[in-house]
Amino acid sequence: MQDEDTPISFDDDETERMERLLDDTEYDTELGVEMAKDAQRVAAGELGEAEFYREYHEDVLAEFGEDDREISGLLDGVEGDDVSEKLSSLAGRDDLSRREVMKKGGAAFAALSMFATAGQESAAAAGDGDADEGTRYGMTINLNNCDGCLACVVACNQEHGTSDGANWMYVFTYEDEDQDDENFLVRPCQHCTDSPCTKVCPVGARHTREDDGLVLTDYDICIGCRYCEVSCPYGVNYFQWGEPDVPDSEIDDDHQYDERGKWVGSRPPKGVMGKCTFCVDRQDGQMGEERIGTTACEDACAMDAIHFGDMNDPESAPNQHLREYRDSQGNDMTFKNRKEHTVSTFKLMEERGTDPNVHYIGNEPSPHARQVDGPVTYEDMDIVENRKEEVLDNGAMANDQGGEEA
Amino acid sequence: MSVDVTGVDRETLVRPIQSRSKYFLVALVAALAGIGVWLYFYTQQLQHGLIVTHLADWGSGGGVPWGLYIGAFIWWVGIAHGGIILSAAVRLLGMDTYQPVARMAELLTIAALTCAGIYILIHVGRPDRLVTSVLPAWPWRVHWSPLVWDVTVITAYFVLTATYLLLTIRYDIHRLRDRLPDRLEPLYKALMIGYSETEDKVVERMVWWLAFAIIIMAPLLLHGGVIPWLFALLPSMAGWAGGVQGPSFLSIALTSAVSGIIIIAAAFRYAYGWEELIPKPVFYGLSKWLGFFGLLFLWLQLQQVITGIFAAPTTLQHATEVKIATPIYWVAIGLVIAAEAYIFAAALKSSLFTIPRIVAVSVLVLVGTLVEKTLFVVEGLQHAHFQLYDGVPGVYVPSAVELSSVLGTVGIVVLFFLVVSKVIPVVELHAIEDDHEEVRD
Repeated sequence: MQDEDTPISFDDDETERMERLLDDTEYDTELGVEMAKDAQRVAAGELGEAEFYREYHEDVLAEFGEDDREISGLLDGVEGDDVSEKLSSLAGRDDLSRREVMKKGGAAFAALSMFATAGQESAAAAGDGDADEGTRYGMTINLNNCDGCLACVVACNQEHGTSDGANWMYVFTYEDEDQDDENFLVRPCQHCTDSPCTKVCPVGARHTREDDGLVLTDYDICIGCRYCEVSCPYGVNYFQWGEPDVPDSEIDDDHQYDERGKWVGSRPPKGVMGKCTFCVDRQDGQMGEERIGTTACEDACAMDAIHFGDMNDPESAPNQHLREYRDSQGNDMTFKNRKEHTVSTFKLMEERGTDPNVHYIGNEPSPHARQVDGPVTYEDMDIVENRKEEVLDNGAMANDQGGEEA
Repeated sequence: MSVDVTGVDRETLVRPIQSRSKYFLVALVAALAGIGVWLYFYTQQLQHGLIVTHLADWGSGGGVPWGLYIGAFIWWVGIAHGGIILSAAVRLLGMDTYQPVARMAELLTIAALTCAGIYILIHVGRPDRLVTSVLPAWPWRVHWSPLVWDVTVITAYFVLTATYLLLTIRYDIHRLRDRLPDRLEPLYKALMIGYSETEDKVVERMVWWLAFAIIIMAPLLLHGGVIPWLFALLPSMAGWAGGVQGPSFLSIALTSAVSGIIIIAAAFRYAYGWEELIPKPVFYGLSKWLGFFGLLFLWLQLQQVITGIFAAPTTLQHATEVKIATPIYWVAIGLVIAAEAYIFAAALKSSLFTIPRIVAVSVLVLVGTLVEKTLFVVEGLQHAHFQLYDGVPGVYVPSAVELSSVLGTVGIVVLFFLVVSKVIPVVELHAIEDDHEEVRD
């Protein structure tokens, strides 16, 4: 990380060295030295690329007769048609000819145009350039509030019609070496900004919805290779191994098709992948205006542990909740696994580099954590926990043989 | 050690095409039966979905989403790549000793790649979408998903190998045409479209370059590249991630392929009395290669185990501990070690070397590599970085549906050789010609 407190400085020796080098050329030494220094400031993040480009554009034109400096970095996240506009604004004037723009844009322009035609998700998949703009849904889950009642798990299963054992929301009860008593880990899909599952999907079925950062599966495209499941560090994917428990006829189209007309909501059909959608139908307003910005698990939680909202909005519920906790615990930023009265905040397996959009307050399970029975067991709630033993192995070939062992 | 088979006449070469025997029919029926058993189970899978397998979700689902299907996929691709590497080496490096088995290696590549393709097909939940989803997505997914790199390179590879085979077959068919059955005339006509003897020299150069491309592509891009990258690039699974997978997969590929070639060559030698055409020294030489590649395989396993248990990160340590605590892992490694022991003993004392023994050793090695690769897939998934899942109950044991696919694909390879050997010579005419010229008729 760049240390922001110490701006880049150049001592006299260094300036002299640059001048000596440039004096040997036929071009303007002063311009060269200034540009070299500022270029390093750009690299260090002290100066914007756009400013840098604008500042020297005319001088460079005057000295060299053209300005072919690399500007591709500026074009991240810019859609096809906007390229020339952006380039003109970069130059700080409008008289930049289209030809000149094309020349500068060059390869970047061609690449962008290609992506623009490749489909809506491609831009999001290709770089997530706008992760910090617009809406980016996420959660803050306060594990200290969780009492392991599993109400969120039940609510999720019911609302989305998932099959037995496909617990999109899952609550671990665990014991850990450095933690007292039992702890909980509430685990929905992390809706990562840099999600491995969208990267590896061979057909682009698993994608990040551009508008709000939801990581979704297009059930119409998914081939069922399960590579997303295999690449996910969190184990949040549940394949639809057989016919879904809830038939298609019982689910309204409004809950299945999102605002783009893609089939991404509710449980998946046979042979494709499903996982937590952050209740995409609610976010699209299919369950009423008042349910936008809420999830089934959040609504079901009586302990106020789950806070859903826009992570890019400082005033959203998850950010507020996170801020309140951090403010009241000024020293919690660097130390994890606090006991009792103190608190830590963390993202699950942050070191994996996935940039999850779920934030946690509470104790982070160590690699030595062991799952134990919770205060309320999955059996109590009539939820299948171990899908393999309880559904798949017994239900498998028994499908057409009467299913003697239920 | 040089082997000269140039004295063998053409009648011997085309013997499989002209002969008839009830053993052939028995083999044919056995192959078809194997395929039939698998097709029965596969129909079940198509009807009910993958729920009929023992696959399940990793995580809280207590299972593994990839199992024997993917293990066997890696295994078949490995056999395929190793086979063509051997054949290309014969051409490029002038290893004429192995020329009698070069075409079998090429054919094995085609058959094994087909089986690998079948595994992709049966492994996905919605096979119908391989056409409707993969093709439209290809242009904008190819630079992202390792799975698409994989399919792309394998397809390119299939085309290369098939071209290679086709080009070399034309030379043979032209010269052996009078000995080939007339009822297949239309097929030969199609294969020989536009042929003239002047193309031979050009083809020889083309084939050299194809061999060159193959020998570069196979180790770097295929079994040393995209196939291991399917796993090595995923940091979520401690047992998978890391640079050792490339070399490790390549060593497995070469080991399995040599075993496969030994078995097939021995079968033809036995069935058609080809003692002259594929003499014992060919097998003796192949056994030494098998010993060498097997040693590499063991050595790379050692590397993984040592780095995994001596001060490894917690999750890798756990994955490795589980691996070395699995009895069947040691069965797999033990099979390869036993094979090594025999090969070294036979290298020192050649009287120990017999063809039935080396065939038995090859079968054991193939079983060992299939077990190892399946364990690699399954245990890698079961012991991921997210260790809370380690406590989730559930073990994976391949179901009858999955096991039957191994039977079915082996049946397909056998069937392929049975059919192809009735149509084209499975040993190149070049092998019995001096200096690649026609010496007599």
